[in-house]
Amino acid sequence: MSKKKSNATRRAEQLATHERAAEIRKAHERKERRRRNGFIAAGVVVVLALVLGIGYAVQSSRDTTGQVATPPAGVVDDYAVPRGDPEAPVTVTIYEDFMCPFCGQFEAASRDLLSSYVDAGDVRVEYRVLSFLDRASNGTDYSTRSMNALAVVLDTAGPEVAWEFHDLLFENQPEEGTDGLSDDELVDLAVEAGATRDRVAGPIEQRKFEQWVRNATDAANRAGVSSTPTVMVDGEPLEATTIDALVKELDEAVQAALGG
Amino acid sequence: MQWLGVLARLVVGTVWVAAGALKIPDPTESVRAVRNYRILPEAVVPLVGHSLPVLEVLIGVCLLVGLLVRANAVVSCVLLLAFIAGIASAWARGLSIECGCFGGGAGTLEDYASKYPWEIARDVGLLLASGWLVLRPRSPWALDNRLFPVDD
Repeated sequence: MSKKKSNATRRAEQLATHERAAEIRKAHERKERRRRNGFIAAGVVVVLALVLGIGYAVQSSRDTTGQVATPPAGVVDDYAVPRGDPEAPVTVTIYEDFMCPFCGQFEAASRDLLSSYVDAGDVRVEYRVLSFLDRASNGTDYSTRSMNALAVVLDTAGPEVAWEFHDLLFENQPEEGTDGLSDDELVDLAVEAGATRDRVAGPIEQRKFEQWVRNATDAANRAGVSSTPTVMVDGEPLEATTIDALVKELDEAVQAALGG
Repeated sequence: MQWLGVLARLVVGTVWVAAGALKIPDPTESVRAVRNYRILPEAVVPLVGHSLPVLEVLIGVCLLVGLLVRANAVVSCVLLLAFIAGIASAWARGLSIECGCFGGGAGTLEDYASKYPWEIARDVGLLLASGWLVLRPRSPWALDNRLFPVDD
């Protein structure tokens, strides 16, 4: 004889079934939601990855470093502007940026010393100019423009005029963070150094050697030059971090190289 | 407590956006900044220099709008750990380079090494904030709340 469940038991059982059903439904919903969330997250990740990829491609295409460039006539080793007897026993390499204030100070402090060594035929200087301070001229790219101008002068008027122009650029050095000299002022200085206005004005304004400037800067960076001035004597970088100490170290290193 | 998450997102996100946005205009310079550390092989230097600024802006924007906060916070931690290691390594090797953190790949003769401790301290702070977001990615004012609602 079947026993009748009490009303209370039946109600309790019904409730339990309900709860179980609700739990199962909830678990199912949770699973669904997780699946949906997974899809959305994956979609977002794909979009982000796409944006990153496009961004990389754009940045990469904007960087023209290393593209073939015509160097100005008169440079040695692709990027160096030589000064002095090519047979001189000691080579002093100077990496500098026309916008770099310490370079200006170093030039002023070392000029007489270096000139006497160069005149005596003991030292050959290699100027390796860089343009990595372009962002320090209010967007006028003074480092690139001045370095391009030096290349134009070297190319059209030869090394003596180029050295003179190089020295004039440092003597008339603009303050870091200003617009720098205008193209017209660069042309004027080039003429003052001995170049012909008609031959330099166009290439200075059109930045004829801009790609060469970029490659030269990149080459210096690859050579481990991360600040200017970097001065080397026979390839050995000097280490002093103040101008006076640097000039002194330069003198001693040249003396040592000559003595040895 | 949940507002701490918003604050962390704002701070870390803003720094990433700024750091990336300042580097994007000059891809050549960011490649040089990477090279200055003399850690990565030349083959990957341009890849890193060209993609890192974009990645930084992306992470920053995602954190600011609260999109995939945990995942972005993880990437943020990984990058910061790499930067800290890079700066510490430059410091240990006696290199004096501009960190290139906010644009700029090289500077004039200057004692950049004296800035290393501050740069590391800053990155550790950002790392802590990013770590918090890995542990507690949920916070108000986030797209994640719309896209991935939690209703239990």
